[in-house]
Order: sequence, then structure tokens, then C-alpha cells
Amino acid sequence: MSQWLTLLQKETLEMWRNFKWIWVPITFILLGVKEPLTSYYMPQILDAVGGLPEGAVIQIPTPSAAEVLITGLGQYTTLGVLIIVLTTMGIIASERKSGVAAMILVKPVSFQSFVTAKWAGSALLMWISFFIGYLATWYYTGFLFEWIPFDQFLQTYFFYALWLTVILTITVFCSAALMSPGIAGFISLAAAIVISLVSNTLSNWFEWSPAQLTAYANEVLIGQGISDHSLPAGILAVVCIIVLLSLSVLIFRKKELAA
Amino acid sequence: MSLIQISGLKKQFQGTEVIKGLDFSLDKGKCIALLGPNGAGKTTTLRMLSGLMNPTEGKITFTEAKKGEDIRGLIGYLPQFPVFYDWMTGLEFLSYVGRLAGLSAKEAKERSLELLELVGILDAKNRKTAKYSGGMKQRLGIAQALIHRPQLIMLDEPVSALDPIGRREVLDLLEGLKKETTILFSTHILSDAEEVCDEILFLHNGKIVESGTMTELRERHQQAKIDLFFRGKAVQYAHFLETHEVTQSVMLEGNRVSIFVKDIAIARRAFLQAIAEQNWPLEKFEVSSMTLEDVFMKVVRK
Repeated sequence: MSQWLTLLQKETLEMWRNFKWIWVPITFILLGVKEPLTSYYMPQILDAVGGLPEGAVIQIPTPSAAEVLITGLGQYTTLGVLIIVLTTMGIIASERKSGVAAMILVKPVSFQSFVTAKWAGSALLMWISFFIGYLATWYYTGFLFEWIPFDQFLQTYFFYALWLTVILTITVFCSAALMSPGIAGFISLAAAIVISLVSNTLSNWFEWSPAQLTAYANEVLIGQGISDHSLPAGILAVVCIIVLLSLSVLIFRKKELAA
Repeated sequence: MSLIQISGLKKQFQGTEVIKGLDFSLDKGKCIALLGPNGAGKTTTLRMLSGLMNPTEGKITFTEAKKGEDIRGLIGYLPQFPVFYDWMTGLEFLSYVGRLAGLSAKEAKERSLELLELVGILDAKNRKTAKYSGGMKQRLGIAQALIHRPQLIMLDEPVSALDPIGRREVLDLLEGLKKETTILFSTHILSDAEEVCDEILFLHNGKIVESGTMTELRERHQQAKIDLFFRGKAVQYAHFLETHEVTQSVMLEGNRVSIFVKDIAIARRAFLQAIAEQNWPLEKFEVSSMTLEDVFMKVVRK
């Protein structure tokens, strides 16, 4: 356990030294907050920028708070996913490529700890950044539109974070299985896109897909309550995470460290 | 007493056999050189011993390891090109590795400072490893191999990348380490092996072609040999020496002629006489013993 904590501490320190603890939360705030701000100030912005003929009447229906929050959350499943993949794809692959993984793993370090500590480090960064970003979005939406109950905020945070964790775990898996960070990133992104696309278009067949968690979260926001399918979908997401992590350890252990 | 035993060790890469069956054991407290030309399989052998590579066949047994014990705790390994986290300082890296090897935070730091002092880079302890020179990286690499007081340290070409001064210092360091631990180091530089090591393993084309202590090797390959050093090129005198009845073979190298002879006493008399009579510009006359280089050449050419 103390070895695992040492490994985790190294991960968090590294993310501090290369400023990930600063730029990732800031990006997550900007991604989310953009939505309530632009929705609220759109008429004024159009007015100020001008370019509309004299006498034109701008009528933009004021969106509901839930709609604003859902669009804001949409940013996290697109650009947010991109950021998660980009910051995680090299986590194992690049250390192996440079040879520093071999320097560490000739010491009595368990492969399991090595991989899971890396996963935990980047998951921590993602959970915290997403929490701060989403909290800011929730605050501005409440401030400018209507306040969404805080327990709904927490529920939706949990659902989205679980889906994002699945994507993060896919990325860690690719990073453990492949030599090149670039290819690992590409495959992770492709996998995330394909899973969401298939689950969303064929939603009747994929009610338990972890990607559907985001849809269930949105239902919470528009007042439909927590869907019955969210529990199996959540369990499936956790199972996916555990299976992918175990596979990562297995593959990483089998691969020879020295090229 | 043997510390580690290797039997029938083989390694294949995509069907080509790189290591073709090694059998040897390393004695405790000795310094052993793994010697061989480039591509002989030195690095592959060390990687298999350190656990970074799995042997295709064969067994590596640590005599003192308990059942199920992680042997990585008993060995320290320095790869040919050590790499570090470049955002860490030297001290941070050593402490980190020390903690991973099971030391407490306090022990790890004390041991790190002690080792930085030993390898002579204590001044650079708070500098990022990205800013270290090649020699400093090599020293930090040696320090990280020693951090958990392993029973065996394995160094892959520890001095090949260093300048003469750095080489001298690392060799002196190894000399000092011999008292504390068993050392196995690979090199293709013969004089380094000759200087530091008690025992030598010659690796050639994935096989051990010769092994033993320096004295044993000399005795086994002993051949009477006289070296003549001339002022200027030696080629014009070679003919006389080659055709002399006592000569077996002659090797010419710039201003040096090495003559392998049947009988040292006869040859000495005959050559000294010739030198005196023909007034050769001789600088040095040496009745020499076999060097490691001679053994190496002989063994590799076989």
C-alpha cells in the first residue's frame, strides 16, 4: 500500500510540475461556463456587434436552466473527452518508450500497482477538474437563469464522471497495450466516439450501455427522475473499468519492457 | 559460494537465436566481467538476469532467494543508457526509487544523500536530471542501482560512454564497491575488465567461449612471446624474424612486432644477437605474457 501511495504521489507531483493541475481545471471551467454566459448575453452580444438591419427584431426564446446545463455538459462529452484522452494517452506508453519504465520496474514494484496508481492519478485529475468546471457551470446557470437543486447537480456529476472514467480507462488500457502514445490516443478517441454513437442511435438496444449514463443524467435535469436503467448501466460501467484495468495490468506484464 | 546460477539460458527473437544456451554461476563477493564484441548478446543476457526480458528457455536461480521472493529486490541494474524522469531532481529520483524498493521516506533520503556523495554528484542533487551531463547520468544510474543494498549489481557498459576522466572515476568507484557487493558488468573494453575484475566470461555469438580468472586464462593460453618496439616502421625487420627457425608466427602492428616463439631462451639470444650485429633502432625489448586482448582475439577467431 505504501508503495502504491508512493507511485500515486509521483503521478500527482508530475502533473503539478507540468501544470496539468492548472490548465485542465481551467479548461474545464471555460468549457462549461461558456454555455450559460453566451445563452444569457446573446441578445446583448448581437446588439453590440451590430450588423443587423435597422428595425430587425431579435427574438431569442430564453432557454430553461436545465437546457443550458445540458448543453454545457455536452461540452464535456466532446471537447472534455478530447482533453482527457490527450492528457492520458502517454501515461504508460511514453514511459515505456523512453525507457524510464524499465528503470522503475527493475525495482521490486508490482505491475498492478504501477498501472493502477497511474490510472488513479489521472482519474483524480479528471474528477477534480470536472467537478470544479461543472460546479462553475451550475453556479452561473443558477445565477443567470434558475437554480437547479444541488442534489441534482451531484447526481448528474456522478453519472457523467462515471462515463468519463470509462473513457479514461480505455485510454489507460490503450496506453498499456500500445507502444505509441499517438496511436493509443487515436484508438481511445475512436472507441469513445463509436460507443456513444452506437448507444445513442440504437438506444433501445443499448439501455445498459455506460454511454447512456449521460442521457439518464439529462433526464434527471429535465425532471424525469432517475431512470430504472441507470443502475445496471452504472454497474456495467464499473465492471468495464475493472475489466479494462485488469487487462491493462495483464498485457503490460506480458510485454517485455526492453524493446 | 555461488550467488546465482544460470543453466541452459536461451533467447530467441523472431526465430533467430541470440543467446544459445548459457551455463554459469556467479560467486558471492566477486567482480565478474561479461566481455564480448558488439552484438555478442551481453545486453540481452543482463536484461534476462534483471527480469526485464523473459528467457525463451533455461533457468536463473538465486541461491539465497526465499521461495516466491521477488528477486528484483536482490539486484540492482544499470541499463546501457539510463533514463530518468527529467522533471525530477537527482535527489528526488533516488529517494523515489528507494521508497519503491521498500525504504521508509527518511531512510530513502539518507541513503540517497550517501550515494550521491559516493558517486560524486552531491553538488547537483537539487538540479533537474534533464540538465545532467552524460557522465552525471551514468553516476546517478549507478547510485540508483545501489539504493536498496542489493546482493548483486549488474551494469551494462558502465564506462563505454564516458570520457577518460569519467571512466577512470567510475572504475575506481567499482573497485571500491567490490568490498560491498557482487558486481557483474559488461564491456567490450578489455583493459577495463582486466583492471577491475576477478573473473571474466567471454561471450561470443550468444555462447560463452571462455571463462575463468585472469591467471587461469593466461595459463591456459600461455604462449612464449617476444615484443620488439622499433623507432619507425617495423616492417623491414619482420622478414628476418619470420624466417628465423625459432619463430612460430609474427604479428606486425606499426612499430611493434610480436613474435610467438618455440623457446624463449633460444629466441632471446638469437634476436638480441641480430639486433646488436645489424644495429637495429630498437626502443624496447619485451618478453611478454599474454594480454587479455591476445586471449580475446584468439578466442573470438576460433
